[in-house]
Amino acid sequence: MRWATRAHCHIDRTACAWLIRRFIDNDPEFVYVDDPDEVPGDATPFDMPGVELSHHHGNCSFETFLERYELDDPVLWEIAKIIHEADLGDERYDAPEAAGLDVLLRGLAMRRSDDELLVITAPLYDALYDYHRQVLLRGRNPS
Amino acid sequence: MLLLFRLPREPSTPRIAVWRKLKALGVAQLLDGVVALPLGSRNREQLEWVASEITDAGGDATIWIGRLASTAQEHELILRMQALVAADYRALIGEVENVRAQPSGRRRSLGRVRRELRRIRARDYFPPPERELAQQAVDELAIAIEEVLV
Repeated sequence: MRWATRAHCHIDRTACAWLIRRFIDNDPEFVYVDDPDEVPGDATPFDMPGVELSHHHGNCSFETFLERYELDDPVLWEIAKIIHEADLGDERYDAPEAAGLDVLLRGLAMRRSDDELLVITAPLYDALYDYHRQVLLRGRNPS
Repeated sequence: MLLLFRLPREPSTPRIAVWRKLKALGVAQLLDGVVALPLGSRNREQLEWVASEITDAGGDATIWIGRLASTAQEHELILRMQALVAADYRALIGEVENVRAQPSGRRRSLGRVRRELRRIRARDYFPPPERELAQQAVDELAIAIEEVLV
C-alpha cells in the first residue's frame, strides 16, 4: 500500500511509519508531500491537518492509528504515551523518555532524508517496544 | 508566522485548552484572535495542530506566513516577546529563592523548578539575560542541596 505524509518527518510521522510497517502493512511505500493537495489518489494520508489518521481530540497521530486499527497491544499504548509527549509535550502523560527521544529525532532529521530517517529510527522504536514489553511482562524494570 | 482565529465563547473548555497550548508555544498576542510565532518547522507544525483543534471546536483558523514591513516594528515585537519570557524567568528565580528558604522538601522542589525552567526555555526564542540568571539560580540550588547531604 502507499502512504502519504508531510515531508520533514519528526517523531510522530516516523513512529507511525514504524507502526504501519510492523503492525499494519508489511510492504508499505511512503510518499512525502509539502501540501495536503499533493497526496496521490492511491495513497492513504496520515499526520497532516484535515485527514482521518491524524491529530484528533488532543491525541497525536500514533494514538489515532492505534484506535483506528484497533491495536490493543498494551506495549503500543505505552509507546503512544512517549510519542504523545515527545510530539506535543502537553504533560498529559508522564513519559521521561520523551525529551531524549525528541532531541535524538531532531538531531537525526538535520542531516537525513525522510526515507533515511525512517530506516534509522525503526530500531529505536523496536527498542522501545522490547524494553516496555519486558516491563509489562515482568511487572518491574529489566535489571 | 501568524495564526488568525475565532472560537465560540462557549463552551469554554476548548478555548482554555487552545490558550494553554498557545501560551506553552510562547506566542505574542497581537490582537484579539491574532497571535505571532517565529517561523520554524516545529513551530509551524504545532501551530497547524492548534489551528485544526480550533476548527474541530467549531471555530475558524488560518495560518499566515509574513514579515513586518518595518524593521523598527519587528524589533519592538521581538522585545515584547523577550519581555514575556524574561518575566517568567524572574518569577522562577523568585521561586528558587523561596525553595532555598524551605526547611524541608527542597530536593522535590528542585525537580519542579527544573521542569519549569525547561518549559520556559522551550518557548524562549530571543533569550534575555534572565535566561542565564535563572539557569544559575537553579544550578546553585542544586549545589546547595548536595552540600547539605555531603
